Amino acid sequence: MATTDESTGSWFGADGQVSQVRGLLFKLSCLGATLLALGLVLVFLLYVFNDAVQPLTADTGWLLTFVVTLVLPAVAVGVYYYTRDTRAGEVAYTALGLPVATTLLAGGVVITFEHIVSPHAWFALALSATVAFGLVELHARTRTAGALERLAVVVLVPLLALVGVPGIAVDFPVETPLLGQELFRLSFAIPELVPSLREVILALPVLPTAAISLLLTFTLPIAAAAAWHVRRVRESDRDGAIAGGATIVAAGLGLVAAPLVDLSATTWVVLATVVALPVGLYVESVVRRDVGVSGLAFPVVVAAGALIGAFLVDALGFAGPDLWLDWDFLTSPASTTPRDAGIYPALVGSVMMLVVVAVAAFPVGVGAAVYLEEYAPNDGLLGSIVDLIEINIANLAGVPSVVYGVLGLTLFVRTAGMQSGIVMVGGLTIGLLILPIVIVSAQEAIRGVPDSLRQASYGMGATKWQTVRNVVLPRALPGIMTGTILAFGRAIGETAPLLMIGAAAVVRIPPDTFFSLFSAMPRQIFAWSKEIETEFRYGVLAAGVVTLLIVMLMMNASAILVRNKYQRQN
Amino acid sequence: MPDNQFGRTVDAVSRRKFLAAAGSVGAVAIAGCAENEASDSDGELSGEVVVKGSSTVYPISVQMQERFMEQHPNVNVTVDSTGSGGGFQNHFCPGDSDINGASRPIKSEEQDLCAENDVTPIEMNVAGDALTVAVSPDNDWVDCMSFDELAQIWQEGGAETWSDVNSDWPDEEFVLYGPDTTSGTFDWFTENVIGEAGNHRTDYEPTEDDNVIIEGLENDQYSIGYFGYAYYAENEDRVKALSVKEDDSSECGEPGLQAASEGTYPMARPLYIYPSEEAVQREEVYEFMKFYLENSSADWIADEVGYVPSSQDQVDENMSKLDEAAGN
Repeated sequence: MATTDESTGSWFGADGQVSQVRGLLFKLSCLGATLLALGLVLVFLLYVFNDAVQPLTADTGWLLTFVVTLVLPAVAVGVYYYTRDTRAGEVAYTALGLPVATTLLAGGVVITFEHIVSPHAWFALALSATVAFGLVELHARTRTAGALERLAVVVLVPLLALVGVPGIAVDFPVETPLLGQELFRLSFAIPELVPSLREVILALPVLPTAAISLLLTFTLPIAAAAAWHVRRVRESDRDGAIAGGATIVAAGLGLVAAPLVDLSATTWVVLATVVALPVGLYVESVVRRDVGVSGLAFPVVVAAGALIGAFLVDALGFAGPDLWLDWDFLTSPASTTPRDAGIYPALVGSVMMLVVVAVAAFPVGVGAAVYLEEYAPNDGLLGSIVDLIEINIANLAGVPSVVYGVLGLTLFVRTAGMQSGIVMVGGLTIGLLILPIVIVSAQEAIRGVPDSLRQASYGMGATKWQTVRNVVLPRALPGIMTGTILAFGRAIGETAPLLMIGAAAVVRIPPDTFFSLFSAMPRQIFAWSKEIETEFRYGVLAAGVVTLLIVMLMMNASAILVRNKYQRQN
Repeated sequence: MPDNQFGRTVDAVSRRKFLAAAGSVGAVAIAGCAENEASDSDGELSGEVVVKGSSTVYPISVQMQERFMEQHPNVNVTVDSTGSGGGFQNHFCPGDSDINGASRPIKSEEQDLCAENDVTPIEMNVAGDALTVAVSPDNDWVDCMSFDELAQIWQEGGAETWSDVNSDWPDEEFVLYGPDTTSGTFDWFTENVIGEAGNHRTDYEPTEDDNVIIEGLENDQYSIGYFGYAYYAENEDRVKALSVKEDDSSECGEPGLQAASEGTYPMARPLYIYPSEEAVQREEVYEFMKFYLENSSADWIADEVGYVPSSQDQVDENMSKLDEAAGN
């Protein structure tokens, strides 16, 4: 590359002509890489969205109507915010996003109460958990007990409240170690001794209806938290009471009004609690701060535009686009007819699998990370072994996912004897798969806690355990949460392990326990990709991919929110 | 209390205490959830039927599943496509599935594996398929091939170019697309077409997904591949199917369901399902099998799935096998 001027003999750059070609080339190649990456992803996304929604199949009149009623006003208002009032723009952005996001969340909650915990089971669970929590608290306040007694109370009271003393059955042949001769057979069974409070409540002859159960044990605590929050920020008991009361009234209205708008009362209660309450709190906070209040107009403009547009196309008789991704798709089971095919059982399966993944991988992963960072020896022979283990954990994160599928099949199905293709096996296998990622990201987060904090804690006489619990973990938690949620994002998209553990291609009944057969969204999408009919491979598949992407985006967005919230606090 | 060196007041709910209590309550709550209320219905048929196996039989099984579950909405029938061998090996013989679809009869080593685990397969021929050899629509030099020519192309160490097989054909290497080795289609083709001549070659493009074969054939003038008739029926305008003759003396037969059932197309092959005798004892599996067999002679098998339905004789024979196994 011709970069310097050798002829002058003076020192490099003396005539002011420093060559910037190399730097420029480097900058351009970086730009090229960025554009290539973003471009490829963008093209892929556009392609998939186009297949899922097919906007061009709509009548021109339909498209024009919505451009006039929805797009133009929204763009006009957006331009106004951008040029005149950027703070209002931020408010507009959040005010539009929040209802959408909370509605999706409400969908998840409705699915939970539909398939995972019935409202009655939740009622009994919440009630007995409250009683247990109350007892544990009461014990802590009234007795100055030793650590052991306290531990016993913390473990036993919730156990009695929620599980009771279950029956035990043992049937185990005792054999000589080498020859395998049976000496005697250990076999006994104890019937259930004490039923739990939860079961007692469930067995009551009179239980409130499903909607009232949710109102009492789902809406009430959330309303109380909201009231507490409002009381604190507005420094007024009255305002707090109004906020709490309004939430209960809004949700309770569903018992009467829900049938009028063709919703079930439970759905209304959930919507009021999960959608209306956060939106109300957000509006309150914007009005209270009095910054960018005009941004609140944006969602109103969008909603009004959509409604007017919908009314107009209906009146004028324009046909809308030929949607693949519609309400029916989200709520029906798989089918051999492309138009009837839906993703609902797979969606429920994915959500339930993720619950298992979270419960299995999070405590184990974080526990391992805490040990490796805080307790494990770091010098001498043992230190080298720990180093070796850490390197191997990092390597495990790169092992192909099929291998984890085989491992899960061997471990959980062949060895532990669980049925293949059930939610539990799928969740545990995928949990194993993301365990290394959880450990490594939790380690990073713990390592990010400044050593000076630990030293200060020790300096004040705190023990190691107190330091880890009160200083390191609270400080590392946002980082741990972010890493874990991103790992869950990977977990929900995994296909290969599910193939290995026998999650079926077509499951038409959503799983209702953690031991039911299930299919997950990526497994279902894979099955569609092999269908003979092209409509499956383009339309239905694209709709499935978009659904999966939306769920994943939601998870990543919540990871970002958690991180931002704690970063601000720090 | 020993934990107050950080100056917390005792009566505020400390975060740590809250975490400890909430954590223990939460953990037990999840344990409590795990033993969920099973939904027992009032006398209606319920339970699980797990179907695995051949991707060729899969389209029939899925249709059966959907139609059966319209009548028995509480029976959870799940259908999966794992390949015939994959299904026997990984799911059916270890006892994880109730029914296995197969596009070839069960092999003796698979029978041994099943016997080790006390699984007794019952063979039932439920439909027929016309295995179809296809080339690119741009291929204008061949319309009919004999088993011998096909074997030359597909056997280990066989021909490399079209002209190796027939000197009238172009001197171009062929591009081969075929089903995976776990597929029953692969096994049938190896056994019946390549036969004693040798082994199926390995340097081809193997796939579990027949759509990939179609796409490959469409895009390459010198390609050749084979797959089930249903895929050809759906893609008639995208690839060109070849007529096939068993040897030089016999007539060329065009692939088609009619021809396959009449026996004028030499590559017609039977499709099987294997319920296990142990699973059939369960009422839901028995009912599903009964439904499957009764419908295996229905017209929609040909119209919607693209296979040859069974004859009434086959249905009767299978039904008596089923009843015998179930002990009725």
